[in-house]
This record gives sequence, C-alpha cells and structure tokens, in this order.
Amino acid sequence: MSDFLLEFVEITQTIGDGLFFGTTYALIGIGFSLIFGAMRKLNMTYAAAALAGAYVGLAAFTFVNAPAPVVFLISALASGLIGGAVYITCFRFIPISNHLAALMASIGALFFIDEIVVHTTDGSPLTFPALFDDVMLELGPYGIRSDLLFVLAVNIVSTIGLIYVLYRTRLGLATRAVSQQDVAAQLCGIDVHRTNAITFVLAGLIGGIAGSMTASAVGVLSPLITVPLTVKGLIVSVIGGLGSIPGAIAAGLLVGGLENAFLYFRGVNERDMYVLLLLFVFLVFRPDGLFGSAVDRD
Amino acid sequence: MSYYLGLAQLIGIHTLLGLSAYVLMLTGQLSLGQAGFFAIGAYSAGILTVIFELPILPALLAAAVIAAFFAFIVGFPALRVKGLMLVVATIAFGEFVRLFFFNLSWRVPRGDIEVGPDSTNGFREIRYFVANGWSPWEITAFVWTFVILVMAALWWMDRSRAGAVLRAVGEDELATQSVGINLTAVKVAAMTAGGFIAGIGGALYAHTATYIDHLTFTVLLATFAVSYPILGGLSSVFGTLVAVVFIQGVLVEELRFLGDWRNIVFGLLIIMAMNLKPSGLFDARTAQVLKRAVGLGGGEKSDA
Repeated sequence: MSDFLLEFVEITQTIGDGLFFGTTYALIGIGFSLIFGAMRKLNMTYAAAALAGAYVGLAAFTFVNAPAPVVFLISALASGLIGGAVYITCFRFIPISNHLAALMASIGALFFIDEIVVHTTDGSPLTFPALFDDVMLELGPYGIRSDLLFVLAVNIVSTIGLIYVLYRTRLGLATRAVSQQDVAAQLCGIDVHRTNAITFVLAGLIGGIAGSMTASAVGVLSPLITVPLTVKGLIVSVIGGLGSIPGAIAAGLLVGGLENAFLYFRGVNERDMYVLLLLFVFLVFRPDGLFGSAVDRD
Repeated sequence: MSYYLGLAQLIGIHTLLGLSAYVLMLTGQLSLGQAGFFAIGAYSAGILTVIFELPILPALLAAAVIAAFFAFIVGFPALRVKGLMLVVATIAFGEFVRLFFFNLSWRVPRGDIEVGPDSTNGFREIRYFVANGWSPWEITAFVWTFVILVMAALWWMDRSRAGAVLRAVGEDELATQSVGINLTAVKVAAMTAGGFIAGIGGALYAHTATYIDHLTFTVLLATFAVSYPILGGLSSVFGTLVAVVFIQGVLVEELRFLGDWRNIVFGLLIIMAMNLKPSGLFDARTAQVLKRAVGLGGGEKSDA
C-alpha cells in the first residue's frame, strides 16, 4: 500500500472513531435541547449531572462489583434523579420570565455537584467498566473497537427510545405541548410544572446514559471532563439549532468527527480550540444553527 | 498586616472583574467570558513588563487596550445573538483563551535564566513590584487607585446619557431601537468597556500574584465575575463592591475552616440567592431599607 493510501486509511479511521464518539455528544446536545425546548432555559448543570450519575454507577461497580450493564442502568437512573432535583432547586421556583436567574442557579448547582464529586474521589480519575473492550473487529484495513460499537448501539437505541416517548406517548404529547405554548397547554389541563419535571428526569436519564457511555469509551471517569463536556454539549446544541433534536444529532456527529480530525492534524492540546472556533464560525455565518428556526432564538 | 493588604488587593482586583461584567449586564446581557479578557490582560501585561521590560503603568494600559480590542472583536459575532446564546458564545470564548494560553510558550533568555509564558508550567517571572522595591502598602494603593478610578468613571457614566442608553437597552430593546438607538453599537461598546476593565484587573492580578497559569482563568472565575453584580444588584456600582467584600472578605475568609469545601458553599449561595431574590441580594429596595436602617435615607436623594 502506498504512503498516501495508508494516510488516507488512518485519517478515515480517526474520523470514524470520532463519529462513534460523537453519538455521545449528540446525546448530551439532545439533553440541553430538550430542556431548552421545554422551558426556553439553559440547564448548565446537565453535563455535570450526567457525570455524577456515572459516578453513582461507578460506586455500584466499586462496592458491590455490579456488572457493566447494571452500572450503566444505575448511572442513567441516578442522573435522572439528579435532573429532577436540579429542576426543583434551580428552575421550579424561579419566575419563568427570568432566564438569567435560572441559568445562574444551575451554574451554582454545576459547581456544587462538581465539588462533591471532586471531594469524594479526591479529584483523581477512576477506571470505568466497559463491555466488549477486548474485542477488535477487522473490516478491511479498518479496525473497529467493539466497545465503541456498543456505545454507538446504546446511543442509537436511546435516541430512538426518546423520540418514541416524545412522539408516540401521551407524556411526549404533553411535553411537546408545553414546549410549544405553555399557557395553552395549561388551559388544556396539562400540569406544566409536572411536565417540566418529567422532561428534566427524561433528559437526565439520557444524560446518565451519555455520561456512562463517555466514561466507558474513554475508560476512566474524571471530574476534569465536566466543564469540557458541558461546553461541548452546549456547542453541539447551538450548532444544531437550540431546541432541535435532529440538529443536535447531526451536530454531535459533526463535532465528534471534526474533533478527531483536529486531533489527528494538530494534536491533543490544540484540538478543543478548533472545536470552539467552529462555534464562532456558526455564530457568524449561521447563528440559528443547522436546523434551528430564527423565531426560537433568544 | 501584609495578609490583610493581600486581601485588600484581591478584593480590589475582583471588584474590577465584577465591574467588567456589570457594564455589560446594564444592557441586559450576561457574559461568561470575562475570565478570558482578564486572562488576556494578565498575560499581556506580564509579557510587556517581563519580556519587553516596560514600566508597569504603560504595560497596564496597553494590556487593558489589548483586552478591550479582543472584547470588541468578539462582541460583533457574539452580540448578533443575545441572551442564552451569548452565554454559550462567551463561555466558548473564555475556554478558547484559556486553551490558547495553555499552549502559549514564549521564552526569552534574561541573564542566566529564561523568562516568559511556558505553556502548562505557567508564567512565573512577573516580578516587577519586587524588582522595583514596592512595599505592600504601595501595591495596595496602586490597585485601589484603579478601582476608585473605574468606579468613579462608571458612577459618573451612570448619571450621563451613556448610562441612560445602556439601561434603556437593558430594560426594553424594542423601545430603545424605536427611538433611533443602534443596539449593536451600544452592546459592543459595553462589551469593549467591560474588556478594558477586565484587562486592568488582569494586569494588576498578574503583578500582585507574580505567577499565572491557565488554570486560574476557568469558567469558575467567570462565574465569580458575574456573581458579584448579580448578588450586588445593578442599581449602582457599590452593589458589586459590597458583593465582592461579602464573598471574598467574609464568606471565603470566615469559611476558611471548611478548607476546600468552600466552593460548595459558593454554589449553594448562588442557588439560594437566585431562588429567594432573583434580581439580586442588594437590589434597589434592599438598598433603601439598608439606608434607612443606618439612618442615611432621610438626607439622600432616592435613586428610584
């Protein structure tokens, strides 16, 4: 094989791995978008809650040696619970018109959760279990890490599950009704606060899955990834168009793929800088994101 | 004594940081990128005094202008969007600046050693005050000169047309636009002024700390920057100062026995404050009540 071809294989391999990993960013972006869609507010605690859920799962792994699937399940449930708690403490009692107060409260909760994690783990990274991490599939010149394949599968299934809940159940109908017109929804007898709380729990479940999948793909869980994951989740939801779920999926894949391309060409220290620049490119040329509508933006 | 002088310097520098966020918040916009402008000021001033061997005053002013320039540049794309999108854009900007200095290595030989920013190892040789034999008193006075100048300038601005325009944009953008005020120009001007103030703060920080690295300028610092005016309320510049004294002077100092758990208290404080008083702990009404309580209310003209 010629040098050029070898390099081509290497680049496509890197970008492909990035796309696999990008499904995790897509999930985090979906979470931000769900909450933004429901309340027109940003929940800055979201990624921190997702990782905190993964930590609860990790505790089950460390102390009772729970198998990996159980760890993932506990992570999702814990993150859902934290999501509900964040709704009550940071959103429920703050006037609906005051966007910035809720935002600040959720930043406060971000540091609160982050500090608890840092203190209980002494800030050091811990190993996180993965499934099938010892198998490598060969596909021509490409190698596919089967743990990443598992992450991909879980992420796709949970995205489909979420879309099913949103579009095929009464619960999803209520959620979408509140996000479109909360006053009208209330007049139809929908309990807005209850629906919002359920949206937060639902987003939390998705976040917990994303958190545990991130941790199992990377192999370790560290409080150092809280802020980067928050920033990337925000970037994904903005690039996709705030409030748009298809947008978040597309943007998640885009960011995941490009991130690994930057990693390949510019190295790990500079990688995140280019992802951040990507956001500014979108802000200048397409501030509504890939699938967003100008009306939704505020 | 030098401990309290150090605390006074810290309070002064954080007041500048809070005021840089205050200016933009008057227009109703929240920036979580102030730590980025602060970092630009800190590194620029450090590079100017260490590598180019400038005296402190021109270095500080140049650093403030550089920070203001970047605020101006960032202002245009960032302020095409507003509200929550601006928050995301400014967080991204702040992280970008932090990563830039994380990667920046610019070492020049100075005698036997090398000086300058050394990427992950930080920037260690900002010794202007030590090298020129400034006493802690002189440094504190120097810091507070700028704090007082900036506070006076903002206080005066609040009583001029410029302040009215900023507050008008914050109150109702549509109404302001319909009387012929250019929203983008006002917001970019506020952003630039905020960048200038954060640049002064950063330059002073670099020289009082003598050592800076990228880990200082995180989202946490940006959160502190916006917390001061939020907790202090936007009715006057003194709210920000009171909030800084309360958080840095009282909360952080009194809670020293909690050790590293103090940031948890900071998080809880923000959550509680936002739930109980979403418009700020020391808003106009509280200020009135406090004034009356200490017997100042009668003689002073009401702000409202």
